[in-house]
This record gives sequence, structure tokens and C-alpha cells, in this order.
Amino acid sequence: MKKSDYILISIIILICIIMLFSLKKTSKSNVALIYYNDEVILKVNLDKKKEYVVKGYLGNVVIETDINKIRVKEETSKRHLCSYQGWVSNSYTPIICLPNKIVIKIENESDIDTVVR
Amino acid sequence: MNIKKTSRLAMLTALSIVIGIIESYIPIFANIVPGLKLGLSNVIIILVLYNYNFKDALSVSLIRVFIIGLIRTGLFTIPFFFSLAGAILSIITMALAKKIKIFSLIGISIIGSISHSIGQILVGLILINKSIIYYLPYLLLFSIPTGLIVGIISQKLIKNMSNLN
Repeated sequence: MKKSDYILISIIILICIIMLFSLKKTSKSNVALIYYNDEVILKVNLDKKKEYVVKGYLGNVVIETDINKIRVKEETSKRHLCSYQGWVSNSYTPIICLPNKIVIKIENESDIDTVVR
Repeated sequence: MNIKKTSRLAMLTALSIVIGIIESYIPIFANIVPGLKLGLSNVIIILVLYNYNFKDALSVSLIRVFIIGLIRTGLFTIPFFFSLAGAILSIITMALAKKIKIFSLIGISIIGSISHSIGQILVGLILINKSIIYYLPYLLLFSIPTGLIVGIISQKLIKNMSNLN
């Protein structure tokens, strides 16, 4: 390995750290949409501590909200991946409960995303 | 192109396809970041790039992407475009990095794995969603160790292959 390789590696790590910090800014959002089978079944406000119970494919899914964050508290599935995911406050990290066909996504109402296809 | 070169390149292409397919069944790295893999078939691409030229490496890489697409993911599906963009971008940047002669083989391999990730993210931005860019720092961070491993392997391989030639 040459010296330039080490410089390259350190530059990339630096860029990664800068990107991690600059992209981590959470946008202020306070509505979460709950999808079952790709259809919106519930729209919840993220302004207080509250629990919602939604019927999933395998059983009931208990969703807990808090100020600007949401999580799956209890659900019936093999690996419990979505309840292990814990609190989510970012609109870019949806909670996906594939066995229950449930998707929870925080909606950002202030800025509009456009996807050009 | 003489017969010896043609058959050598064909064997190397077949080898890279088999490595790619076997590797996709071993999801060691995919447990850390989904979609991440070692990219061992890049060893073959680097080998072709060093022993032959850019054009041969590009054709080996493209044939590999098309045949793996045909066998596993299906042609012209989204995963196919991901690997196509990654392969083209990584081969071009690796050839450029080789030409400027600043980096060693390991550095070139790291550049290849990084540009592979960047190409995939670029296609993801067009085909899937803008929010896929949040995936880029993690992918970049993990492409350093994978590039290192691939670089070390290909360094040893090229050293031993030169005895064969």
C-alpha cells in the first residue's frame, strides 16, 4: 500500500462522517401514515403519548406514538424486527412489518418530494 | 485477438460469473447493511484490467452483468440496472485511477468498490426514490473494508498469475 492509498481512505472516511452528520437533520414532521397492504388505514398525529391498535395480517399490531416519534410496541411475527427497530423520528426510515403487511411512515407535510420518472 | 487470449478471457468471464453467483448466496455482509457484498468477482475484473486492457475488462464486466442478470435477477429489472451502473462506473474509474498511477492496486480496488456503490445510488435516485441518498454514507463506509479485501486478494493473485504467463 502506498501513502496515497491511506490518504484516499481517510478522505473517504471524512466524507462519510460529514455526510452522516449533514443528512441526519430530521425535518419537523408530525403526521405518521400507517399502511396495510399498500393502503392507508390510519393517520396519526405525533404530538402526544398514545397507543393505537391496528389489525395486521398475523394479528394485532400495537403502535405507540410520542412527540415526533413512533414505534411498534407489540406485534405477532417470527422475528419481531419492527418492534426491535424501536423509535423512529425520521421520515426517511419507515417501519416495515412485512409479516403483518404493515408499513408505518412519517409524512413530511412541509416540503413536497417530487419523483420524476 | 488470438485464440489463447480469447479462451483466457472466456475462462476469466466464466470464473467471475460463478464467483458472483456463489457470493450472492453467502449473505455475511448483507446482515450489516442490506445489499452489501464483498464483490469478489471484482478480483477477476482487476486481473483482466492489469493483464489485458480497459476494453477487455469492460467487455468481461458487461458480459458478467448480463449473464448474471439472465440467470438470477432477470434482464432489465431494477437490480439488473443497479449492477450494470455499478459495474460500468467502477470499471471506468478503476481504469482512470490506474492510468494516473498515483494509487497502488489496493487503492484502485477501493476506488472501484466505492464507485460501484455510487453508481448504484445514482440509479436508485432515478429509479426508486430520492431518499435513497441517506444510504450512501453507510455504503461508502463499508466499501472501504470490502475494497481492501478485494485489493489484497487481487494483489496476491496477480503476483501468482505472472508466474503462469
